[in-house]
Amino acid sequence: MESLDPRVNRLDLKGFQGNLTRKAPLDQFGTFEVFIQMKEGKPYQHEGIVHAPNEEMAFIFAKEQFSRRSTCSGLFVVETRNVFVTDFTEGEDTIYNYISDEFPKEGDKEEYEFFHLMKRGKQHQHVGSVEARTPQEALALAKPAFINEKPVFNAWVVKTSDILFTSEEDKHIWDTLPEKKFRDASDYKASDKIKAFKERNAG
Amino acid sequence: MYGGGNTFESAKFEGLENEDPQKLAEFEARIERGEKIEPNDWMPQMYKKQLIRMIEQHAHSEIIGALPEGTWITRAPGFKRKLALMAKVQDEVGHAQLLYSAAETLGKSREQMIDDLIEGKSKYSNIFNYPAFTWADSCFISWLVDAGAIVNQLANARGSYGPYCRALDRICAEESFHLKYGHHCVIHMATGTPKQRQMMQEAIDRWWGPMMHFFGPPDKVSVHTEVLMKWKVKMASNDECRNQFLDMYVPKIWELGFTIPDPNLKKNPETKKWEYTEPDWDEFKRVINGDGPCNAERLAVRRVAEERGKWVRQALLTPKTKYVTPLA
Repeated sequence: MESLDPRVNRLDLKGFQGNLTRKAPLDQFGTFEVFIQMKEGKPYQHEGIVHAPNEEMAFIFAKEQFSRRSTCSGLFVVETRNVFVTDFTEGEDTIYNYISDEFPKEGDKEEYEFFHLMKRGKQHQHVGSVEARTPQEALALAKPAFINEKPVFNAWVVKTSDILFTSEEDKHIWDTLPEKKFRDASDYKASDKIKAFKERNAG
Repeated sequence: MYGGGNTFESAKFEGLENEDPQKLAEFEARIERGEKIEPNDWMPQMYKKQLIRMIEQHAHSEIIGALPEGTWITRAPGFKRKLALMAKVQDEVGHAQLLYSAAETLGKSREQMIDDLIEGKSKYSNIFNYPAFTWADSCFISWLVDAGAIVNQLANARGSYGPYCRALDRICAEESFHLKYGHHCVIHMATGTPKQRQMMQEAIDRWWGPMMHFFGPPDKVSVHTEVLMKWKVKMASNDECRNQFLDMYVPKIWELGFTIPDPNLKKNPETKKWEYTEPDWDEFKRVINGDGPCNAERLAVRRVAEERGKWVRQALLTPKTKYVTPLA
């Protein structure tokens, strides 16, 4: 078959003897959750996922996928299976009503990051961190601060050491974003051209 | 970009009587209140199936849609156009990733979806089975096919499934530049030399049929849309989307002095609806079932990419990470 695309012709589709088999369930990369901070001082917000073989590559994919088009001052990634997820509540009911004060008390203390869902249909946002031995203990320690506040419908708790953060020296990766005007609708003004065209045709 | 309208199969509409009536009532009440359904919420099997199908087809359309435009990157006229077209094609592939992850939250993995695409088991927007002969074809796609896609996507973004709506919000925001870029390209051709005008007119003549097909068969022959509309899976009928597209873009095409190859195309001043000659729906059926000018090439390109990229995927595979269903 002759394609209109010279690159497709170079693929030599005719000579391709494909022997494709369906991928095995484990022939897939891991799943990583991506959080973005659009401006310094704003909370990190969950934006979606990428699939990658490790967290460094997840970070690179996430940079391309989620911070290519709008402003960004930081991003981080965490493997999905390292996110501890609470149940969900609705209406005025906060999830902290269901956090038990009983929790296992073994192990060393570590830092845990918190993400709250404050509105159905929206994304989880980063709210802070506490030191605890388990995610359950972290939730119990955070409970007094949140139980009488606006309802939290779902919380994600992640060990800080499981997250790959943007380092200070990496932040320059977003320096050239404002220069990329060709990705901006305002760079394609043409109303003067249409006006001139119409005047020429009318006259 | 994305073509809608053709995404549902009547055969999949059974089993509703097996659902728990109380849970079903709560589910429908939630949608009625305008709340989103999230991955952890109870949902009828049929809702899940139809959503996977729709989001998956949308994702495939982004991937395949990048091919006819990608054809023109190396031959785009000038550095600025190359930069813009590359950025646009990159966006489309990014949109596919966003959509695959939205469908993954419903339990089908990305690799299963890609397997189904290259094995010809799932569909994608029919319009991408047509070839882009000239630069003017690429201009038509960037402006008007994207415009049609945005009509569909803005409607679907008001739908009921949270992860899909959030992906669409991001996609629509990113596509505002595509539409402006495409219009800019067409205006440049329209106000250029007689040869450029002629090229653009020929592209419009070639693409008008597929563009009318784009929104799917007329409402009177589309089946089973009431339940999908009630569940806010489908937000506007095929004819509504087509009419909205005509209303927004026919005047803009005429304004540039081009003609549209349909002598019956006009807006009825009384009904405020557009009247047109029905496009050839037999051709639509034939092409969507595999017999279009580019179906074989589009899938072959994906298959080659899959096969020749296999060693990279396998070299990178590690037991240290694990595929799991995304959270939201």
